[in-house]
Amino acid sequence: MNEAARIPVAQPAPLLSVRNLRTWFHTFGGVVKAVDGVSFDVAPGEILGLVGESGGGKSMVGFSIMGLIDPPGRIEAGEIVFEGEDLARLDEARMRRVRGKRVAMIFQDPMTALNPLYTIGNQLEEMLKLHTDLPSARRRERAIEMLREVGIPQPESRLDNYPHQFSGGMRQRVVIAISMIARPRLLIADEPTTALDVTIQAQLLRLMKHQVTQNAASLILITHDLAAVSQMADRIVVLYCGRIVEKGRAADVIERPRHHYTRGLLDSIPHHDKAQARLRQIPGSVPDIRKLPPGCAFAPRCPAAQDICRRVEPELVETATGQAAACHFPIEAIR
Amino acid sequence: MAPLLAVRDLRQRFDVSGSIFDRLRIRNGRITAPRRIVHAVNGVSFEIARGEVLGLVGESGCGKSTLAKTVIKLHEPTGGAIALDGEDITQHDFHRMRPIRKKMQMIFQDPYASLNPRQRVRDIVMEPYLENAAGPVPDVAERALALLAKVGLGREHADRYPHQFSGGQRQRIGIARALSVEPDLIIADEPVSALDVSIQAQILNLMMDLKDEFGFSYLFITHDLSVVRHISDRIGVMYLGFMVETGPKDAIFENPLHPYTQALLAAAPVLGTPLPPAADAIKGEVPSALNLPTGCPFRTRCPLAFDRCAAERPVLKSQGGGHAVACHLHDAGVPVA
Repeated sequence: MNEAARIPVAQPAPLLSVRNLRTWFHTFGGVVKAVDGVSFDVAPGEILGLVGESGGGKSMVGFSIMGLIDPPGRIEAGEIVFEGEDLARLDEARMRRVRGKRVAMIFQDPMTALNPLYTIGNQLEEMLKLHTDLPSARRRERAIEMLREVGIPQPESRLDNYPHQFSGGMRQRVVIAISMIARPRLLIADEPTTALDVTIQAQLLRLMKHQVTQNAASLILITHDLAAVSQMADRIVVLYCGRIVEKGRAADVIERPRHHYTRGLLDSIPHHDKAQARLRQIPGSVPDIRKLPPGCAFAPRCPAAQDICRRVEPELVETATGQAAACHFPIEAIR
Repeated sequence: MAPLLAVRDLRQRFDVSGSIFDRLRIRNGRITAPRRIVHAVNGVSFEIARGEVLGLVGESGCGKSTLAKTVIKLHEPTGGAIALDGEDITQHDFHRMRPIRKKMQMIFQDPYASLNPRQRVRDIVMEPYLENAAGPVPDVAERALALLAKVGLGREHADRYPHQFSGGQRQRIGIARALSVEPDLIIADEPVSALDVSIQAQILNLMMDLKDEFGFSYLFITHDLSVVRHISDRIGVMYLGFMVETGPKDAIFENPLHPYTQALLAAAPVLGTPLPPAADAIKGEVPSALNLPTGCPFRTRCPLAFDRCAAERPVLKSQGGGHAVACHLHDAGVPVA
């Protein structure tokens, strides 16, 4: 264990506190409990990794925080307390003043966030116009400054370009510039580098970390890439079928997972720094979220499942180190 | 023994100029009609032995998928030669390729797009076999079930349609279809990239088990370095349509020689390690294949580039132990054919 872990840190009030969030979709095929009783905090300046496979509900947590859940989806219960204000209770008009200004979100495909009909200069300046009282002359300067910060060469001339004139990696840089220009307190990044090549991915992860640190903002990094999250996050939350199965400090979760699903995910990744004969695999596949088994949703695929797992849903139990797992038979750390 | 697949100086170009009206430009007061050529594959040579797995890695746009499709003749090559089992198939037309397809099959990245939505699974997996069968096949139903069993699907799955399966199961169907003709070589183009990690491991294990059982070879294309290290015997690294380094997998991972290979390995995230410092990072982006740089294709991003790199294109030179690199910094070796 490293030194930092031993020093007790006074916990500051969280920037964001999600409490018992339930986001459900009422479809003809049944109720999809995309997020079902999720609670976590994000401290100021913290990078939180939200991981899991497709269907885990990680993106829906991000959408819920941003107030972007449309019918047939609905936030059924829970609180999303951000800087002391419950975002789940805000109407659309007041939510608009939060989005972009205080909380910003970026997506996997930068083209979904960029308007193809406006120059990126327009789009950067629009954010400043909406969310700051900067005079128009200063706005252009600030836009150029921001493009330079995210590593776009010749920002003065690039400002007048349209999104299609940029490559995929450059577009994602532009999106980061737009999302950070109003200096939000919290950035939510949903698979921001999944569509990009490894060399570009590393550049962008570094850029996001730098932007967040420099502005003393927090970051929720939503991704299926455990390796990337282990390099970025301070803490990790693992989701499976809309529920939290494990959370804790990044190093603890990666090195000493307590939930069998987390361990299964980690074991499934081929290690490129050492060769193995065979990968350990999680048997079966993610169940249909409309017909979750009773008890623990992971029980049908779990190597340690017993009778009780198929009957009683396990609670998240926290250990002394702040690591929590929702499991009747958690993996005990070998010290 | 002759290699199973031998590819020599393969080239693939695509003319994307469009019609004469799209091409017309006025330059310096004169009307010109320049062509726009995508140089997708630029003189790539490699061999695959029987039972061997060659992993091809590179970033998007490096030509690895085009190379695969050219090898299996979905694209007609612009230049070079392809020999399968000693038979030169470069000039084979559609009809002469049909018996070849019994020896060489392909698995695609997208398990949604590569299966016919209107066919039952039992018909999908038997199609390549029936296409190549000399006469009627009386035991077609049993054969289909046996194939499905090989990839971990049951009798109850045989009469379903592709949309009734998950991504991982669809990839299993694609693998069963390739297996139906008992090929010597399977070309797998990013077969696990669209799948979740836990399913990825299942499919990779299945692919390796089948290889051990049937003894065929893989040309395995992926952008994922951890996957390529797991599955390959030898690795080829591509950049902008060029093969920049090839060698046994341990040589590539433990002693990468090309600055691009080094950068690629440094950029790939590794579990539980800190984000690599910016100093190690590769800068800029891949140049356009419409307009290749002179000399070394990587020189525009290479931290070690010097005068010669712009003037002269490096060729693959052997460094011993089957390891070859195309870089002026490793100039001493013997050129590989």
